[in-house]
Amino acid sequence: MPAIESKLASILARVQKPARYLGNEWNSVHKDHSGVAVRMALAFPDLYEIGMSNQGLKILYESVNSRPEMLMERVFAAATDMEELMRQHGLPLFALESQRPLADFDVIGFSLQYELSYTNVLNMIDLSGIPLYSDQRNEQDPLVIGGGSCAYNPEPMSAFFDLFVLGEAEEVLPEMLAELVRLKSENLERKEILTRLSALEGIYIPALYQPVYDKGVLKGLKKLDSRAPVQIIKKAVADLDRVSYPTAPVVPYIQTVHDRAVIELFRGCGKGCRFCQAGFIFRPVRRRSRQNIIETAKALIAATGYDEISLSSLSSSDYPQIDTLISDMKEALSASRVRCSLPSLRLDSYSVKLADQLHQGRRSSLTFAPEAATERLRLVINKNISEEDIFTALGDAVKAGWQGFKLYFMIGLPTETDQDVEAIVTLCRDIRRNFGQKGKRSLNLSVSVATFVPKAHTPFQWEPQLSRPEVLERQQILRSGFKTMPGVNFSWHDVETSFLEAVFARGDRQLAPLIERAWRLGCRFDGWTEHFNFQLWRQAFQELDLNAESYAYRRFSYDEQLPWNHLHCGVNKEIFIREHRQSLAVDLPQRSGQ
Amino acid sequence: MMRIRFSFERKMPLAYISHLDMLRLFLRALSRSRLPLAYSQGYNPHPRFTLALPLPLGITAGEEYGEVFFADKIMPDQFINVLQPQLPEALVLTGSAAVDPEEPSLASLVSAASYCCTLKSSSSVTVKLELLQAALDRLMAKEEILALRKTKKNKTTYTNVRPYIIEVSVKNADQSKLLEFSLLLQTGSQGGVSPGYVIGQLEPEPGAGNLHAYDWQIRRERLYFKQNGSMQPLSERR
Repeated sequence: MPAIESKLASILARVQKPARYLGNEWNSVHKDHSGVAVRMALAFPDLYEIGMSNQGLKILYESVNSRPEMLMERVFAAATDMEELMRQHGLPLFALESQRPLADFDVIGFSLQYELSYTNVLNMIDLSGIPLYSDQRNEQDPLVIGGGSCAYNPEPMSAFFDLFVLGEAEEVLPEMLAELVRLKSENLERKEILTRLSALEGIYIPALYQPVYDKGVLKGLKKLDSRAPVQIIKKAVADLDRVSYPTAPVVPYIQTVHDRAVIELFRGCGKGCRFCQAGFIFRPVRRRSRQNIIETAKALIAATGYDEISLSSLSSSDYPQIDTLISDMKEALSASRVRCSLPSLRLDSYSVKLADQLHQGRRSSLTFAPEAATERLRLVINKNISEEDIFTALGDAVKAGWQGFKLYFMIGLPTETDQDVEAIVTLCRDIRRNFGQKGKRSLNLSVSVATFVPKAHTPFQWEPQLSRPEVLERQQILRSGFKTMPGVNFSWHDVETSFLEAVFARGDRQLAPLIERAWRLGCRFDGWTEHFNFQLWRQAFQELDLNAESYAYRRFSYDEQLPWNHLHCGVNKEIFIREHRQSLAVDLPQRSGQ
Repeated sequence: MMRIRFSFERKMPLAYISHLDMLRLFLRALSRSRLPLAYSQGYNPHPRFTLALPLPLGITAGEEYGEVFFADKIMPDQFINVLQPQLPEALVLTGSAAVDPEEPSLASLVSAASYCCTLKSSSSVTVKLELLQAALDRLMAKEEILALRKTKKNKTTYTNVRPYIIEVSVKNADQSKLLEFSLLLQTGSQGGVSPGYVIGQLEPEPGAGNLHAYDWQIRRERLYFKQNGSMQPLSERR
């Protein structure tokens, strides 16, 4: 597209990291638009460096582009400097591979991974010159679809989307695209096409349902077409060894957050931590075979030239005989001097041994997530590690020469008291006392404390988020506790950020005008500290007279209609209730006043 | 151990990646090529690969140099034939030769670089040929051009960069083509200045403001080394 090309040339010299917008990276796929039946742009509503680190994006790029009759190109959010110049020069948002405007595609598919990227989604639709709301789009406009973990409660965004894919999309997305081609060839209208697509498993068309409210309380969804399914059930891949995996992923020109090859060992997690949405929506656990893993890893390194491969999954040390898998992997890749890494380590001696096996050189720091500092609270959240496990594992690590630990905790978990929060400080003090003084170097601790966000499709979905004053108070307990502790680097999550996450995580369709308003007021990149402006959000709440706090701070009841009731993640409500009741039944002496 | 010195051209759009990204790009291409790289000793062995002089973002180049060590014998032609298919189209290998292991490093050899600056066709700026010439003359007539530089301790200090501007000349005979001028700038451990900075110092019409580097397409044409007090193109080093 020469028009875009010449405008782009004058813009690229003036923006930060222009390589974000080049799109002809190694292994990128360039197909002739007139030679395929359907064209899709995969849109990631954050910066290139973040989006290109997302494994789901690479999987879908492979799954669609491996079919000769389809093409998929990528597009990311324009950074604020780029957006300004694009608007100034009248340059529409374009897909990287062909530099064609997004409006030229049949489908634009957003990867929805994080609630605070919602304003970026609106900005990208707007920069493409496509109407924001689904009901404003006409026959010529692309279908705007969404998927990813936020699609498990997409209701706050449903007015902007024509269709959502619920679950793992690598099989259902190409099926849906093929069906779209077939329906288009029948010359059906957009509305009829969408209605017929709702017959596919895992496909949710929001416009086929209308929420019914009674005095502001959600009572249920009314079907607007008899063909719409009552419930949409998530789609999961049955056998990882039988679906295509990206062995030649795009290799970015610039450094991304995860700048390495990735092989997925298994999907799902056998642990069942009660706060963790991924642990429930990715059930059941499905493993890739050892042979497949080794062969895929070899192909990945040959096609990319990466010097590191990550053995990825939600809890990688749970792969059966992972130690022998790592040694087999090292042997298979010995010629190319590739390092292996594990992204998620369990806090036990076995995992420390794995880390030793992986890092032969300098041992800087190991990362663990105890999440809570008292045994009682860990039982509540079903993170079943004992204090003894923690100290044995860290002791082994210190003996093996690790010089520091990065520890992740949460505050605001259900039943938490001030004592549980103080215990975070005590635990870190004890770790430093036990392991700090030995040897020449002192032990470095990096302690990161997030605020609990209740998520849909978890046993804690009914739980309120801790209120703002209480969050600030507990953060203060931590700040003053760590102030006098040398060698500890303490960081915490912004209270307003976590609040907005909670609002959208459990939000309903009434939030759409709020998101639009916040975006019009200038909200962008809300997940980035340097861009986040809560004043604008507060202004939007006020202008729309919306009580956002009722989404985050209210305890939902078991019998009420949850906004995501019609979306089934594969785990029954009875199981969530049982798990929730079990968590509240945990009662050890420390607990008081609950 | 085998040492190969090679030259390459960098075209658009690869001008938009940084020096560190260029290094990573070459290392991944070398890894894909399966040529027998030699690694450094120590805790964290690295492939022995260097580029002569970092290329600033946005600048294309006609004759850049790099060096790589191999554990086994490699024919210089084989190096190009095997590596080129692993590189993006915008990076073109133009020559390669075996180099004596005792030869000084590329980084220590390079002491100047020549640049060609062309006014972009997409730019809205118009400059008269004579005025550009006059601005360049005024620049060269200065004894001192103080540039704000960061020191190692994160402080700032002023450095006189005028001595680093060796030569400037307008390339156009008339204004029928896009306006173009060339620069020969010192670089390396003895101090240097970037072409973008020099462009930013030019004020063709007094009072109308300085030129902006982003309106000019800059191409690094050649790298030079010092021999008997004069600058010689690196390609002449035998």
